[in-house]
Amino acid sequence: MGWLAYLVGIVLPYVALALFVVGFIYKIICWSRAPRHLPWELFPYPHTAGERLGEMVIEVASLRSLKLHNRNIWLPSLLMHFGIYAVVAWLFLVLLGLPVALLGYLGGVAAAAGSLWMFTKRLGRDLRILTTPVEYLNLLLVFLISAGGIITGFFGEGLAVREYMLGILSLSPRLPARPSLLWEIFFLEVFLVYLPFGRMIHFAAKYFTYHRVKWGESH
Amino acid sequence: MRRVLDEYRAISDEVLKPHEKRVPRFLEAMKKSLDSRANWTFWLPYVLSLDTCMKCGTCAEVCPVYLSSGRREIYHPAVRADALRKIYRRYFTLAGRLFPWLVGGEELTEEKLDALVEGSYRCTVCRRCAYVCPVAIDNGLLIREARKILDAIDIAPDELREKGTRKQLEMGNATGTPTPAFMDIVEFLAEEIQDTRGYKIEIPVDKRGAEYLVMHNAGDYLAFAETVMGAAEIFHAAGVDWTLNSPATGINDVVNYGVFFSDVEFEKVLRAQVKTCIDLKIRTLVVGECGHAFEAFKYLMMRLIPEEERPFEVKSILELIDQWIREGRIKVDPRKNPEPVTYHDACKLGRLGGLYEEPRRILKACCMDFREMQPNREMSYCCGGGSGFAIMTKGDFLKFRMETYGKIKARQVEETGAGIVALACSNCKGQFREIINYYKLPVRFAGISELVANALVL
Repeated sequence: MGWLAYLVGIVLPYVALALFVVGFIYKIICWSRAPRHLPWELFPYPHTAGERLGEMVIEVASLRSLKLHNRNIWLPSLLMHFGIYAVVAWLFLVLLGLPVALLGYLGGVAAAAGSLWMFTKRLGRDLRILTTPVEYLNLLLVFLISAGGIITGFFGEGLAVREYMLGILSLSPRLPARPSLLWEIFFLEVFLVYLPFGRMIHFAAKYFTYHRVKWGESH
Repeated sequence: MRRVLDEYRAISDEVLKPHEKRVPRFLEAMKKSLDSRANWTFWLPYVLSLDTCMKCGTCAEVCPVYLSSGRREIYHPAVRADALRKIYRRYFTLAGRLFPWLVGGEELTEEKLDALVEGSYRCTVCRRCAYVCPVAIDNGLLIREARKILDAIDIAPDELREKGTRKQLEMGNATGTPTPAFMDIVEFLAEEIQDTRGYKIEIPVDKRGAEYLVMHNAGDYLAFAETVMGAAEIFHAAGVDWTLNSPATGINDVVNYGVFFSDVEFEKVLRAQVKTCIDLKIRTLVVGECGHAFEAFKYLMMRLIPEEERPFEVKSILELIDQWIREGRIKVDPRKNPEPVTYHDACKLGRLGGLYEEPRRILKACCMDFREMQPNREMSYCCGGGSGFAIMTKGDFLKFRMETYGKIKARQVEETGAGIVALACSNCKGQFREIINYYKLPVRFAGISELVANALVL
């Protein structure tokens, strides 16, 4: 199995990172180089940069649109998103040398529970009529990563994860101290590759739909 | 008529041509719509809306058609727009070409095309859904893009194209009123004002170099003459240099049905209207009480016609009246309108146009008892006359308008207890005329100009 560990732990990280960066930049360039379309804003909308930032923060932090207009999926969605934010925050803290295991576990539990809850919501009539297999797969992927992080103890191995990530980033990759971490590393690689090409890119698309379309751009 | 989507038909088989092979032409036209240069006018919101819908269903929770129909699947805004997304995925994305079943790609058949045509005329593009979408995806825009593709393969409602934009370009107005008849109508309206108010006013027509050219929806002269008369009285009272124009000067109809279904038709009409304004050497074009025309001149025109090619200002008649009341240029007495009045926010003036305060300030100044309809402003429900529906009646289509949008609107109006619904858009007026009739509401509708004229103190 040595070659498989080598593949997942040493080769794929670079492939995944490269595909993520290239895919992400490609998408952003594609959208930002779009010709200026006809004004199509919706009123009222925030005008100053400060107001816009405020709206964005409120929407991202509280999912206000769902809260106000689609209460049925607000809590599951909020739980899942907060879980993801927590896991991402945990990763950054780990890189900085602050492995707060509790944050990782809490995030993992929230994202796993939230994605499962969303999955069951999707089976209800109103969402089922909209849902294609890929929506279920997206939720399963989130579940897999968050549950995987808990089961393999990934979130508790902050120091080992840090050492491994620093090895990757400094171009002197070494396999993680505990081979079981490779599972989670593999899930994250899949996620990275998939991110720019699937609908989960919405966190970036949202910038354009708000700033370039809904909020106008010229007055 | 033959059933293709539901119990209604917006487009007849004559236009639809179900026996021809249309799918290849549709796909060809759709391919062009996805080209950022060919479709620069809406490319970015179009592809973002095609690609990033998260299928959360928030749009459905605010869609008047979906909610009032008892949540019928075919009227779900995302399902309706998915008709186009499925084709997009199947034919124009790699994942969809390889694994269509996975990402919801679907083969387009002639039958599905029929359903797509009808489906794209079950939405007024009121964009209430786009306003609440967490990702700001615009399913209304996708409907409009579908209509554009269909127009490119010659599938468009006669009311909007043959008897709409085409007729307007040929005759100067979509009502087909020739100049002599138009002059007669104006004369008649001046006499009418004299009869009801007891004083004579002059209604200038085709005056060159006027400060204000007031262009109404030509249909208003025939169907909502009170609005036209009210505007004339207001401009007279303000003592400004103004004029109407006849078809002899070019286009004398502010409507532009291209807004509803075709950028090509839209641009043709818009350029003809701009040319008329330039020929008349006017300084300000006043858009009469017409929602989509305001959207067209105030916003959509901005990047389509460079500023130096349109040497005149554009104002809604609401902006002017509001300004004049505040400046004291015209005096009004609210006691002349004692009945309770409510206001319906036209989508294209409010959500799409940003005119929320102007009509409210005007009505509060001119009426004793102004009452808000709930919900209002950006969450206002479309009346169901939008995107051309107000003039589409065949195939039981009127019943569709009444049983969906109309049902909600009738209830809203009743809840206010108002006796008058103030409206500032001809399509809304056309729809409310039918709603009041269909639901036997004890109310009447009135144009803003009509209420202002009634409150004028000379």
